[in-house]
Amino acid sequence: MARPRVRRSAAAVLGALAGLAFAVPLLWAVTSSLRENEAMFRYISEPSWRTLLPSDVTLANYAALVTGDFGRAILNSIVVALATVVLGLVISAAAAFGLAAVRFRGQGVLFGLVVLSFLIPFDAIAIPLATLFRDWSLQNTYAGLILPGLGHGLAIFLLRQFFLAIPAELVEAARIDGLGWFGVFARIYLPLSRPALVGAGMTLFIFQWQAYVWPLLIGTDTAHQLGPIALANMRGQFTIDYGQLFAGSVVLTVIPLIVIMRYQRHFTQSISTTGLK
Amino acid sequence: MSGRERPGRARLRHRPAAVALAFLAPALAALLVLRLIPAAMAVVSSLRHTSLVTGETSFVGLENYLTLFGDPAFLQSVRVTLVFSLIVNPLQIAAALALAVLFTRRFAGVRFWRSLVILPIAVPPAVSAAIWSVAYRPDGLLNSVLAVLGIPEQPFLTSPAQALWCLIVLLSWIGVGYWMMFLIAGLQDIPASLYEAAAIDGASAWRRFVHVTLPLLRRPLAFVLVADTVSNFLVFAPVQMLTNGGPEGSTNVTMYDIFTRAYTVGDLNLAQAEVMLLVLVVLAVVAVQFRLLRAGD
Repeated sequence: MARPRVRRSAAAVLGALAGLAFAVPLLWAVTSSLRENEAMFRYISEPSWRTLLPSDVTLANYAALVTGDFGRAILNSIVVALATVVLGLVISAAAAFGLAAVRFRGQGVLFGLVVLSFLIPFDAIAIPLATLFRDWSLQNTYAGLILPGLGHGLAIFLLRQFFLAIPAELVEAARIDGLGWFGVFARIYLPLSRPALVGAGMTLFIFQWQAYVWPLLIGTDTAHQLGPIALANMRGQFTIDYGQLFAGSVVLTVIPLIVIMRYQRHFTQSISTTGLK
Repeated sequence: MSGRERPGRARLRHRPAAVALAFLAPALAALLVLRLIPAAMAVVSSLRHTSLVTGETSFVGLENYLTLFGDPAFLQSVRVTLVFSLIVNPLQIAAALALAVLFTRRFAGVRFWRSLVILPIAVPPAVSAAIWSVAYRPDGLLNSVLAVLGIPEQPFLTSPAQALWCLIVLLSWIGVGYWMMFLIAGLQDIPASLYEAAAIDGASAWRRFVHVTLPLLRRPLAFVLVADTVSNFLVFAPVQMLTNGGPEGSTNVTMYDIFTRAYTVGDLNLAQAEVMLLVLVVLAVVAVQFRLLRAGD
């Protein structure tokens, strides 16, 4: 039985090559972020194992990040993403409850509005929305950065699908015992829906963490810049500080990576159910 | 899911609409103000024209759209977007499918290598663009790799012939692992007994792939095809950070063209008309998705 074994090792080689191909740019960014600026391009022009593996490690680039504008931008990104997740989950879960736990005339129309709102790509309506936000003096405010993340139809949709599976008998029993509607929502639906809440929270977090077009339009002053914008601006400067550019890239990647790994199970679950079933 | 046939439900219908609306109100307000009203504004604005001389805005019907179709820059951007879409979407889906098939096999370290392919989904697009912009420099990582292989230095982002390909490679690095995850989920839903039956019938690996895998993977494939196409229509950060639409307009995709029109040229009305055209194309693609998903169900 030599053939299956040959096949299996061929697959292993291909798999390793593919994995490495995707990992090399990130590995290179991490290594470069740990290097003095003068040494940055030396290891590129003479490629060796040192191009991808750190030697003479220094944390100077990260230290410089913390004291510079970029540290502030990262902090802004964290504040904006956290506020979006917390407020967005409250708003979306309440809406999903209104769409799933109670039946009323016109519900279909409202659900249709929710679906319609996430079929319209956000980046495409960023221009008219930015005009509105400027009229409302929301430019360069945290509210201006956070608000667009809150009207997230997909989060409502995901939570509604989950809420629909909660048996009505449970709600009836609680109502007969004298629990109010808010009690039903907060004490029955929310505790039962942890996986869906994590999935929706991840959707909100990643939407906000990866945002570029919107913060470019609305958060331009140094006090309200988000991480990706500060990173892009670094490239526009006369002399680019590559050490800081790479260190900033690593920080902006590690934070969502930790979140994704912590909630990986829910993340893959929500991925495999989005649009497939 | 109709609640009507459930006994005892009547007791709950104590002004249900008022209760539901109270819970729905914040979200509906958010969706209305942050999504639907701006969309409606874009429609109205695309039908108006602001005079540069008097600053007055007036209704002009479809004139903005006619202006666009007579504008060489717009037509060039449509051409670039079309070429870009026709290359990047099949490429990414073929790569995602090949990797999904590979990583659903069993071999040493499969989970580790697979997680490396998925890793770029954690990277924000602006960060990917920043890292790759250094890699694409004349003295960057890619040219040094090419030098090792004995290939002469390439201009990459500064060449009209190569810049679009550079973006395609970068976007595939970002996206292929993500789309692969959906296809892996789809592949894992296919019962192993079907492959065993096909193998007993003497079907070759290729025939098993074409006659078992592909038909049963139709739904996730259709979803990935559409979601990928839509997301590639909306590419902006890498273009703005790496090429600014150039050189010679060779990477001036629609999203970038819209933003230049709105904020560099400063014609918001014309930009909104272009937004509308883009949204129409996106909605058409989504409509085709529903067709694909429904056919054969």
